[in-house]
Amino acid sequence: MRTVGVVVILAVAIALSISMLIARDAVTNKINTVKASTGTTVSVSPKGFFGFNGGGTPLSMTTIDALLNLPNVTAVQESFSEELSSSKTSLTSPTPAGQLGSQFGNGGGFGASGSTTFVIPVRVIGTNSPGNAVVGGANGGGTEKLTSGVAFSPTSTADVAIVGSTLAAKNNLKVGSTFTAWNTKITVVGIFNAGSTFTDASVLMPLATVQKLADAPNEVTSATIIVNTIGNVSSVDTAVTKALGSSADVTSTQATTEAALSPLNSVKTISTYTLIGSVIGAAIILLLSMLMIVRERRREVGVLKALGAPNRSINSQFIAESTTFTILGAIVGFVVGIAISSPITSALVSASGGSTSSNTGGFVRRAGGFAPGGSGFSPPTGAFANRGSGAFHFGGFSNTITQIHTSAGWSTLFFALIAAVVIAALGSTVAAATIVRIRPAEVLRSE
Amino acid sequence: MLKVENLDKTFRTGAGDVHAVRDVSFEAKDGELVAIIGASGSGKSTLLSLLGLLDAPDKGSIDLDGIELANLDSPGRTQFRSRQVGFVFQQFNLIPNLSARENVKLALEFAHWPKNDRDARAHEMLNLVGLDASKADRRPAKLSGGEQQRVAIARAFAAQPQLILADEPTGSLDKATGQKIVELLREVANTQKATVLVVTHDEKIAKKADRRLEIDDGILKEIT
Repeated sequence: MRTVGVVVILAVAIALSISMLIARDAVTNKINTVKASTGTTVSVSPKGFFGFNGGGTPLSMTTIDALLNLPNVTAVQESFSEELSSSKTSLTSPTPAGQLGSQFGNGGGFGASGSTTFVIPVRVIGTNSPGNAVVGGANGGGTEKLTSGVAFSPTSTADVAIVGSTLAAKNNLKVGSTFTAWNTKITVVGIFNAGSTFTDASVLMPLATVQKLADAPNEVTSATIIVNTIGNVSSVDTAVTKALGSSADVTSTQATTEAALSPLNSVKTISTYTLIGSVIGAAIILLLSMLMIVRERRREVGVLKALGAPNRSINSQFIAESTTFTILGAIVGFVVGIAISSPITSALVSASGGSTSSNTGGFVRRAGGFAPGGSGFSPPTGAFANRGSGAFHFGGFSNTITQIHTSAGWSTLFFALIAAVVIAALGSTVAAATIVRIRPAEVLRSE
Repeated sequence: MLKVENLDKTFRTGAGDVHAVRDVSFEAKDGELVAIIGASGSGKSTLLSLLGLLDAPDKGSIDLDGIELANLDSPGRTQFRSRQVGFVFQQFNLIPNLSARENVKLALEFAHWPKNDRDARAHEMLNLVGLDASKADRRPAKLSGGEQQRVAIARAFAAQPQLILADEPTGSLDKATGQKIVELLREVANTQKATVLVVTHDEKIAKKADRRLEIDDGILKEIT
């Protein structure tokens, strides 16, 4: 009965250790995944710039290109965007103005005034990194995927374009079709889909071509600096800020990522401490149990010593017992730990303030809104959307950040084995130390 | 042949020194059964601990067949005890989760008897003390007190030690069984040519011994 009790208590402690280990691994994987996907970029935009609503002077491409020479910078993605009204392009936006568009259009911006019918302009993005999230993130979509045709090269100067799927459908465009922009015939070489109506109403063209046609040589309206590791984002942010001075707004994703991941980091800390605590707890349980067992069998130990048993022989018997307890506890604990790891992880994430609310990303209504006419800057690219409060907020993945998948791999099994060995060793050590101190003469004299 | 000379042992306690064994000297021949009698606290158990190498004397000599034992270190005493000393206790002190046969084999294991011979030797010893095969595989709890003491005697003699120390071996048995056990001790001692020292406070048991020694306040005297 006592043996069952010891095994059950050990199993509970080991189950808690295993579930904490699994929770910790799952959260760590999630944190790493999020950091790997969002945390290694620094965004650059002209000072005071915010999409169609801000101002600012375009940045110099020469200056931006020079950022590639900074330490830990692996790539620089540049873009130059313009909103083309019907007077500048043959394309018609597939996006209806609707109530919001009419309200914003009449309210100001893009040169509209009075009761003029508002027409959504067509956004053209010149980029040197086609296919690499230029129209995703803040613009409501994701990395664009070609559904037909081919992409142009990053250094192309040809009058070619990749057209968003909804814009292509609205204007009956296919690969090989042509349209006009800035009075120039542009050939469609591909159709893309980026996941939202807004982004799929855009046109992607080579950066050099747009700069040439818009008469804006050497100008860029946004850039994304790719950093080699998350740990270097802060230093690159500082270096870019220093290099560009007051001409640009520099924002990195690191701080925002860290803030968003804060609940998960809390869970990781909690699970680490609980893991350590439960392993120590299991060791103490076994240690006290073995101490009790050795004390109860003090006479037996004394008799064995009187018969000539060496300490190592008696110790090995007790070590075998404590190892048996631990192995039984570890087997039961491992199974139970795996079973309860998922609900425990969910409970920890919820208790740590992780939100499970869904945010589909994209633009959120702000005062000022869209307005037709003139040139506009596209907002910084990246994985965050602006909510209008001035602070960045997770857009596309806040709904998935708390969706954590738990699983037990070989590493978990290996840990369980190591923990069992450590626990058994600690338990046995005390038993051994007690056994060595038992003097048979004293034990047998007390008969 | 056991030869003890000037053996002395003092315990230091909070209440002062306790001189448990004082200048004890005596001899015992192979195959001889010697009874040591004395009241509680007279020092007889301490004397047995010293002779059984469970404790070291402060001074004096213990010579067994020409080997000086008093100056052995702890591992040396353990090794010598496993091969040359057998114990029989009042409470039998068999290992409860082992069968009678396994208890006997345990002593053989500690004495490093060849593995292949242990079963046969255990069987032989259990036969010698009058336990048949049907009881050899029973655990101590399934045996009577007399049977348990027989197993203990079989265990004590199994490794063919030169010295057997029996501490109140009949203390937990009825009179008739106690008599049989003492006779058994004498018989086995003769068979194996071992010296047997029996500590007892029962005069009737002591009278069955070849010689009687009395210990009082740590001082040992021969009773003639």
